[in-house]
Amino acid sequence: MNAQFSSEQEKLLHDIGVLSFVVIELSLYLDTHPTDQNAMKYFNHYNNLANQARQEYSARYTPLTLSCADASACDDWKWALAPMPWEGGCN
Amino acid sequence: MWNYERRLEFPVNIKEANADIAQAIISQYGGPDGEMGASMRYLSQRYACPYREVSAVLTDIGTEELAHLEMVAAIVHQLTKNLSMEQIEASGFRNYYVDHTVGIWPQAAGGVPFNACEFQSKGDIITDLMEDMAADETFTHTQSKLPVDYNWRQICPMYFIIIAPHFNIIN
Amino acid sequence: MKDYLYREPCDDFPVAMAYVPWQHFKGICENLEKGYCDGTIFPELDKPFTGRRCCNR
Repeated sequence: MNAQFSSEQEKLLHDIGVLSFVVIELSLYLDTHPTDQNAMKYFNHYNNLANQARQEYSARYTPLTLSCADASACDDWKWALAPMPWEGGCN
Repeated sequence: MWNYERRLEFPVNIKEANADIAQAIISQYGGPDGEMGASMRYLSQRYACPYREVSAVLTDIGTEELAHLEMVAAIVHQLTKNLSMEQIEASGFRNYYVDHTVGIWPQAAGGVPFNACEFQSKGDIITDLMEDMAADETFTHTQSKLPVDYNWRQICPMYFIIIAPHFNIIN
Repeated sequence: MKDYLYREPCDDFPVAMAYVPWQHFKGICENLEKGYCDGTIFPELDKPFTGRRCCNR
């Protein structure tokens, strides 16, 4: 996929998508192969990268998980007010 | 057991409204071989499973199918949200529109509402896994029946991410 | 469940039952972007999508 991203936010969200997908695929493999140490190393590596990317996105833009949501600032409740993931296209 | 991440597994950005193709794609949402059936099947079968490894894979894939379900819903939503009445009347989408307008409601392309008859949960793990393998083959088969003359360059990337994990359950 | 990396010859299995070969971990695809778009990071699971009925390959 050679997409051109219109912003750094879009690029970071894309990277999170790729890394999270790798993590999901490895977790499905490990579910049925729970003793495969080699696969576990891959999982840990990509899981760390995915977690870091998610933390960075949540800090810079909007929270991706409820546990990353920060209601301590005086801003509105971003979790509810940020655009929904299915709002796109055909505008 | 569910938290969620506030993003789609693969982004959906449809550029061109099309009611006709939405009428077909709704089958991947609530049809007999669609994602709602897939997720309910795996999430229902996991309880009677005597092996943790298999319960785990049923739970994880059932969860991922929910993520696919919402991608399909996003596709149908974006294909239909800005349609004019003329476009709706000219397409095969009119009958769905009468009952649901641009709401998302799980049904097959032929109009059969989603129901639990579209999957089985037998309580025997071998039987259930056979059901899963058959279901994933029918899913892939249905994918191949969707119209090929639409601009699939946009939808295809999303569809590959939906199709390929179905081979995981077979493994 | 048994040892997951074990190989078994199919001829020793009982007849009239269906079996699925074990997947073995051989690494993941090098280009993760492509894996993301293909819908799998495992090259052996990247089955061709021809948009046709079953055909004899």
